[in-house]
Amino acid sequence: MKKIYCNIKKCLGCGSCEIACAVEHSKSKELDKSIAESPLPVKRRKAEFIEEGVSISTGCYHCENAACVTACMSGAMYKDEKTALTQHDKDKCVGCWMCIMACPFGALTRLREEKIVLKCDLCPDRDDPACVEACPTKALFSGTLKEFTKICST
Amino acid sequence: MQYVIIGSSAAGISAIEAIRTKDKTSKIIVISDEKNPLYSRCLISYLLAGTIDEKKIWYRPGSFFKDNKVEALLGIRAEKINAVKKEITLSNKEKLKFDKLLIATGASPKLEDIPGIDKKGVFPLRTIEHTIEIQSMLDKVKSVAVLGGGLIGLRAAYALKNRGKDVSVFVKSGSILSQIIDKDAAGLMQKRIEEKGIKIFTGVAAKEIIGAKSVNGVTFEDGSKHDCELVIIGKGVSPNIEIAKDSGIKTNWGILANEYLRTGVEDIFTAGDVSETNDIALEEGSINAIWPAACEQGRIAGLNMTGESETYEGSLAMNSIEFFGLPVISVGITRPKSDKYKEIVKKDAGKNIYKKIVLRDGIIVGVIFVNSIENIGIIGALIRNKADVTGIEDIMLEDYFDYGKIIPLIKKSQKGFKEPEFKETIMTLYK
Repeated sequence: MKKIYCNIKKCLGCGSCEIACAVEHSKSKELDKSIAESPLPVKRRKAEFIEEGVSISTGCYHCENAACVTACMSGAMYKDEKTALTQHDKDKCVGCWMCIMACPFGALTRLREEKIVLKCDLCPDRDDPACVEACPTKALFSGTLKEFTKICST
Repeated sequence: MQYVIIGSSAAGISAIEAIRTKDKTSKIIVISDEKNPLYSRCLISYLLAGTIDEKKIWYRPGSFFKDNKVEALLGIRAEKINAVKKEITLSNKEKLKFDKLLIATGASPKLEDIPGIDKKGVFPLRTIEHTIEIQSMLDKVKSVAVLGGGLIGLRAAYALKNRGKDVSVFVKSGSILSQIIDKDAAGLMQKRIEEKGIKIFTGVAAKEIIGAKSVNGVTFEDGSKHDCELVIIGKGVSPNIEIAKDSGIKTNWGILANEYLRTGVEDIFTAGDVSETNDIALEEGSINAIWPAACEQGRIAGLNMTGESETYEGSLAMNSIEFFGLPVISVGITRPKSDKYKEIVKKDAGKNIYKKIVLRDGIIVGVIFVNSIENIGIIGALIRNKADVTGIEDIMLEDYFDYGKIIPLIKKSQKGFKEPEFKETIMTLYK
């Protein structure tokens, strides 16, 4: 399965991934225009500090046995049969927050007013997700676990 | 191979899906006493509230049984199991053979033994039928009495308030949601609910539901009386274990399940609200009659019915509710009853925020978050994996607490965090 991995050794916690994510999911898809949009674009990725000088960029890990999918009572959260990615159908979402309760990574963003959640969709309109392209140290990687393991060991 | 599944809600459906990932061809027969079982039970109060349209409650497509090559016997009850002959007797008197059987019969509303409960206009809220019946009489209803201040009672109260009714909730105990959250959290929720016009009376017990054929009021032990045209009973549920009677299947509160979701009887499995499994926080057998547990148990039971041996780590009490824009989520033990437990609390009254973590021997066993719920799943992961949180206790309730902060614990943990995704996140750390 192709998804996003973060090499903690390279991550600076700069937050470029967060901005790129929000912009990619805005109406205009351009930074200068997106900051004037209403509602403001929302990120689905977070740069998090682990401890002094160590950071990670996190988001949905598209878990094999996804706790959010198991918890979802409306069928909005589902595993794509072909790609095995965890996808979210916002038309089915009722804003019950069961996925937030279940996700061990805190990877879901809650829209209070709209009563839906948002999550990483791996940027379906792009070859590489926006966060990966925006990462200045190439800590973020898009590909399979095998490819990521290989690239980290070289 | 013939799989038979009794019950077609969360656990039954998940089991069917799991079986079909391993076995595409064997016969699966599902028995349900409901005629249209493919709806999400948790959403019926949303439907009653009118906040979602009917389409949304069908959480699987109408073609689900056909798509999965399942023979569905709907509107039929399974009445008796003969474990020796591997045979079930149905309510239509027919008999059905099984090679592998799943008991996922769920639970039924506890109907209090109070006089007048059989009058017209008295309902539990458990099935889509209940919702439809309640809806059909709403035109004639001005005032509603909800007996019970638990999750279902309050969801029903919220729904009917949303439909413009005058709603009063009567709670026997001292606070609402007492099975799920503590008094402080309940206080915040009660305040919000009352501000929006639902009346809540605590410490009152119903004596009798009165009226001729139809209900026109409820009387209480303290001598008071409340006029209403509709009564909702929200007193919790009890597991449907009757099916196990005389079959050799062991029951306690529910049907006893081992870590493979097997009953003690060969080839018979159990999952969902009927099954009693290990509770991760309590470290003893319990029933957590909740949607996520039913789905997970159904999945694992289904896999094991096909010959896999996947283990079920156990269930955790967990609930997420929101009333009038104020959400609360709780996991595990939230009202500890002995001095073995330690509590860490953070309050911000101005923002309606309340956070509490319950610890036992340095391990988190419970949590409540009101109005700031985003990172509660991370605390849930710490509970589930019994992580020693010594050293991060001070920051767990802070706004900046996130997954990154538990990465050192995952790295240190010997037994927990087995899922591959945890490993993927730490594989480049300290290399």
